[in-house]
Amino acid sequence: MKILVCIKQVPDMESRFKLNSEGTWYDESDLAFRMNEYDEYAVEQAVQLKEQLGGEPEITVLSIGPDRVVEALKKALAMGADRAVHVKDDKYYQKDPWQVASVIAGHAAGQGYDLVFTGMQSQDRGSAQVGVTVAELLGFGCATTLVGFTYDAGVIMAKRELEGGSKGVIKLKLPAVVTCQLGLNTPRYPTLPNIMKAKKKEIVVQAVSELLKEAEVTGTGGMYPPAKRGGGIVIEGEVNDQLDKLMRILKEKTTVLRAA
Amino acid sequence: MFLELNEEQKLIQETAREFAKAQLEPLAARLDREDDRPAFLANLKKLAELGFMGLNVSAEYGGSEAGVVAFSVAMTEIARACASTAVTVSVNNMVCEVIQAIGSAEQKKKYIPRICSGEYPAGAFALTETGAGSDPAGMTTSAVAEGDQWVLNGSKIFITSAPYAGVFVVWAVTDKDAPKGKGISCFLVEQGAPGLVIGKQEEKTGQHASATCEVIFDNCRIPKDALMGKLNDGFRIAVGELAGGRIGIGSLGLGVGLAAMDFATKYASERVQFGQKITNFQAIQWMVAEAYTELEAARLLLMQAAYRKDAGKSFAKEASMAKMYATEAANRACYSAVQMLGGYGYTRDFPVERYARDARITAIYEGTNEIQRVIIAREILRNFN
Repeated sequence: MKILVCIKQVPDMESRFKLNSEGTWYDESDLAFRMNEYDEYAVEQAVQLKEQLGGEPEITVLSIGPDRVVEALKKALAMGADRAVHVKDDKYYQKDPWQVASVIAGHAAGQGYDLVFTGMQSQDRGSAQVGVTVAELLGFGCATTLVGFTYDAGVIMAKRELEGGSKGVIKLKLPAVVTCQLGLNTPRYPTLPNIMKAKKKEIVVQAVSELLKEAEVTGTGGMYPPAKRGGGIVIEGEVNDQLDKLMRILKEKTTVLRAA
Repeated sequence: MFLELNEEQKLIQETAREFAKAQLEPLAARLDREDDRPAFLANLKKLAELGFMGLNVSAEYGGSEAGVVAFSVAMTEIARACASTAVTVSVNNMVCEVIQAIGSAEQKKKYIPRICSGEYPAGAFALTETGAGSDPAGMTTSAVAEGDQWVLNGSKIFITSAPYAGVFVVWAVTDKDAPKGKGISCFLVEQGAPGLVIGKQEEKTGQHASATCEVIFDNCRIPKDALMGKLNDGFRIAVGELAGGRIGIGSLGLGVGLAAMDFATKYASERVQFGQKITNFQAIQWMVAEAYTELEAARLLLMQAAYRKDAGKSFAKEASMAKMYATEAANRACYSAVQMLGGYGYTRDFPVERYARDARITAIYEGTNEIQRVIIAREILRNFN
């Protein structure tokens, strides 16, 4: 079995974000980066499947971006992936999800992958389109937002998260793409010896221009921070008056007191 | 000149930070107040499984081969969450390194993997005695050859991890008549050796979860092959290896100082007095500016000492400078952190009083900061004579 895991490196979400000079993306200069959280679930699930199958599957991990993404690739290698593909692209943020998916599909075509794991979305752009579009371009089946995964004899049982807390179970034959959600698993910490051994694993570097054949279909019009919220409402007066005022606000401005 | 960590070092730092935040920090305040050794040892076991007990140790013996810079940044991250855990990890690393540096092939194969894997929760250094602190060559614990055994008599104090250490590196006098420092040898003593007694556990100001005990040798019998390194050459080894430990303790101090300042700065940027956030006041701004500048300088000194050790260059002076400066910067940062919280800083409802207590010992152990100054001055003055 050949497995592909697609990961993205994203800023630490606790960072303070500034816009870049074009106003279309964030300024990267002062940010610390890490692997997209949902992609960590994808790497973990791929490694667990490899372990379940006695180490037979080969796991390739792929990331698109500037040189810094090698750190995320090395983390995936330290967690148990076998080899990495770095699609070098300093202007990755100018590509729309269609182009990103096309680049991944361009790499995957002819590689004979049986199963593609990726996060349900990236923490920075959050389009949630790349996984499903890769499936479409490759002609693979697809299940999204996985919170459970089992595999037996060529068939995946995927537990999906639905609205309102319901779960759905999907049966899926290989080849397939699955996108991973919080709750699927607990990603392992890479051990220090494995971090050091990952240095010896292969990292293939490809220029994005070799793989990108598609023009963008959507473009970023602008990006702006949310408007500053007001300072809230301070309710003053006697306790009974305060309660009356609070009830009125809750009735008029919110739905919490409305009958179901 | 390149001042960035490489990718492996960054990943090790990230792993240490995430583990410390998820596993160590939630326990640290409770372990400071009450004894829960099983919980403390369980986290040490997990750290061992991740490879944190032998950062600068060969993979042949179960080490991580990650080097000294990685050791330093890992120690800082662990100490930001729990100084007691950090000191135990630092000592374990140094025990592994000493055995790797001077142990026989059999000793290395036997003991280092047990510490690196967590089979032994800890290793211990037994050097200090009541009459031999800053002057370790004044020790009186003795080892006498008897048949195919060594017989040890005497006692050691302030031994980190003594109750749960699997093996002790013990220094003892083997030639009473030799000039001072020339008749001391180094031994490996296993927990449970006949005549090895773990004595009173100290009631310390801070770092409560880490046990610090007296260790007594009462006709303690160990095999002949428990001698480590050359006979009567032990003191030179002790002096040489302590320098590496100083990078660990300096890094630990840095972590505690950063934890204190990060907490106090966050607090001060929310605390309102005179109708405004107290970070608007220059008094607070100066504390923040000075503490972070000093902690950053400490980090750079530590990185330099660690880099020099990794590169095989001399590093004793740099390690002493880094240990002295980092631990004093950490203590100043903790003092300011308590001050920034005002009365709350002196209560147990906030963690800065714990950081202040935990930081204090870093200026004392692994060579007092006065001894660090002696070493630094000696190294500098050598070039002027």
